Amino acid sequence: MTETELPPVVRGELQPWTDENPAGGPALTALLADLLPVRIGRALVAGPHDAGVLDLLARRSADLTVLVRSVSDAAALRDRGAVVNGALDGLAAENPARYDVIIAADGLDRLLGPDSPALNWTERADLLRGLAAPGALVVIAVENEFSITGLLDRRPAHERHGDDEWRPLHDDPRRPTSPAQIEAVFGPVTHRYARFAAHTLLDSGALRRTRPGFPGARLAMAGIAAEASATPLLAPVTDAAEAAARAGMLDAVAPGWLVVLGPAGPAHTAYTGSLTADLGADGWRIGDRAVPDAENAETVLFRLAAAEDVPGFRACAAKLGELGGGAFLDEIHDFVAVPTGPEIPLAAAWFRFRDRLVGGHRRHPWPPWMADGDDLVKTWLAMSGVEPTAEILEAGRALAGPAEDKTDLRGALAGAAAAEQTIKEQAGHIFGLERTMRFRDQQLRTREQQLRTLRDELRRLKSGRAVRAVSFVGRVTRLRDPKRLASAVKRRAKAFLLR
Amino acid sequence: MHHHNHYYGQTHILARYCGLDDEHPPRIRGYLQHGWNVGCGWNPVHEFFDGAWRYTWTDANRRRGHALGRRNYHVVGAPFLYLMELEPDLGVVPEQERRGTLWFLFHGWEGGGKGGRIEGDHARLISEIKETETEPVTISLYYTEFERAEVRRAYEKAGFEVICFGKRGWNYEGTDRRFLYKQLETFRRFKRVAANRLSTAVFFGVAAGCEPAVYGDAMELEGDNPVFGGQARIARLWPEMLGKDVDLAAARATTDVELGRAHLMRAAEMRMLFDWNPRD
Repeated sequence: MTETELPPVVRGELQPWTDENPAGGPALTALLADLLPVRIGRALVAGPHDAGVLDLLARRSADLTVLVRSVSDAAALRDRGAVVNGALDGLAAENPARYDVIIAADGLDRLLGPDSPALNWTERADLLRGLAAPGALVVIAVENEFSITGLLDRRPAHERHGDDEWRPLHDDPRRPTSPAQIEAVFGPVTHRYARFAAHTLLDSGALRRTRPGFPGARLAMAGIAAEASATPLLAPVTDAAEAAARAGMLDAVAPGWLVVLGPAGPAHTAYTGSLTADLGADGWRIGDRAVPDAENAETVLFRLAAAEDVPGFRACAAKLGELGGGAFLDEIHDFVAVPTGPEIPLAAAWFRFRDRLVGGHRRHPWPPWMADGDDLVKTWLAMSGVEPTAEILEAGRALAGPAEDKTDLRGALAGAAAAEQTIKEQAGHIFGLERTMRFRDQQLRTREQQLRTLRDELRRLKSGRAVRAVSFVGRVTRLRDPKRLASAVKRRAKAFLLR
Repeated sequence: MHHHNHYYGQTHILARYCGLDDEHPPRIRGYLQHGWNVGCGWNPVHEFFDGAWRYTWTDANRRRGHALGRRNYHVVGAPFLYLMELEPDLGVVPEQERRGTLWFLFHGWEGGGKGGRIEGDHARLISEIKETETEPVTISLYYTEFERAEVRRAYEKAGFEVICFGKRGWNYEGTDRRFLYKQLETFRRFKRVAANRLSTAVFFGVAAGCEPAVYGDAMELEGDNPVFGGQARIARLWPEMLGKDVDLAAARATTDVELGRAHLMRAAEMRMLFDWNPRD
């Protein structure tokens, strides 16, 4: 193929057009590597996928077809195999030989062009599965319209999508938006993974069983946070996600799923970045670390702070100090090696905890003047048995990174309410100080009265007969002693001359 | 910030604990609970300014205050416990040499023009004390009763030693900052502490190693506000503290809770909590 030669075109190609952010990333590639057989006959990758996915399929497949609707995307991929440029309906119309593997990890929303018929989601799924050979392995991504990030998206529905909404793809009653509806469309599936942004895939079964603060939920929360970072929000996703986890519904409100149909290889419980994780009877194995399937320290500490249980909090902090380390106060992230002693990761952990506690408007028993500066971190570090020196605090802050500064509507409202409250409390504080000053003024008046009384008594005493008599006796005594008299005269004369 | 914080020299004790001047202690930014009570730590009609922080002895006070719509609590534990840490040897005698009963008559208060005197049958109470106590009895009267000759004499005539630990002060005037020091020193030579109402002194006595007893006419306090439930509620909540022979282990456990032993904190933490560190 020469440089000027373009991929073959089927009906429905799009130009000028580019599909940004193709499906891919290390987590997806690792999962596909586990699912796919080592040798594949014919394979179809439908929709935009990144180089990692395409290279994997190219290595394993004897005959790879890549379907992309954008002319420029197809031109860019022409060196990667048999690229077909056009829409799904166009490819199906060509009646190609059936495929042994079909990957549509980008979903079914970027497979049609403006010239394609108005196929709803189920029709697109049927069309795609119609290209599969009997017993084929099919992987399809499903976006969840009932996701936490979708529910808390502050934009009106018509402003959430771009130029590819020439038809309202998301206003589609046939689009599955729950695990049950997915099963209704596909029947029993081989695997289903909840998909969080590009970097986390988590087995739906494990996700249903996890609870707030447990490793499964922590993995999901990290993914939800990444997903939410690109979405303007009404409220933080954390509270809603924790509530969902408590209800065993994190899977139901995930941003999307990856559905695996047909025979597939054994896979891990979770894929996150370049790491895999497995949940067994004895807990999690994350990378090469064994992690108990239990609540993390941060969740326990949030609960103790909300209960204003400082003794409980103190005991927990002491335990963390004994364990050492803990840049994130959770077992998921703490595998990150830090080239320092245990004090600095612990300081970083407390800084992160402070940022989340205060930034998340969570309940706690410490006054605002402690929350504003480093006093909370100093207090907690001391509870953990670490002397909070300036060096440790500075290094901990640097390791923790800056506090997240993302304002959502609820945060803004809470911030405004807190500012109002602060003004009210400051006014109260001024009132209290003025009241104290009034008491102190009264105290001064009392003292002054006591001084005046003492002075009057002294004056009375001085002018009394007894004092006068004593004074007279003193003078007479001096007169009777010539030496003392002479020195007294001398002293007075000197004082007079020096005046 | 409030003059009640200086009552009994409590702020002075905490300032000393924090390594600060305990003769002229710094202001506490908020309200410090100054006595044990069945409510939120303060009297039912106590005024609080907006946003004030309230430092209580125990979490139960915080919870009851929360139910009253009040927020901004931090439990610090009773200053008396900090004093015990500061003065581990003050007045200590060998355990076998502890003797007698230090008996606290429920006391009135300054009243601020709203009354505050106690009324009751002292003669009957004296008879009951004599019937009950087997060792010498010392009666502790708060100055409001000590200065009422008819009350003081009634106990003196009965043959009891009568003492007074001083004044808690009012509007920063007349505070005996050694008040609790004297009390601690005295407790440590007595075997028993008793009172006609469950009160702060009983808990302090137990903390200082005394066996407690609560019995006799509880007497009436002029202008008493029963909004927190009064003596009946105390009987429901702390039955283990009432009676002439009280289970010591149970009393000690309750005392630890009521004085907030688990909430005691280090000096550095307290300095930050009270905003006592200098700000540049």
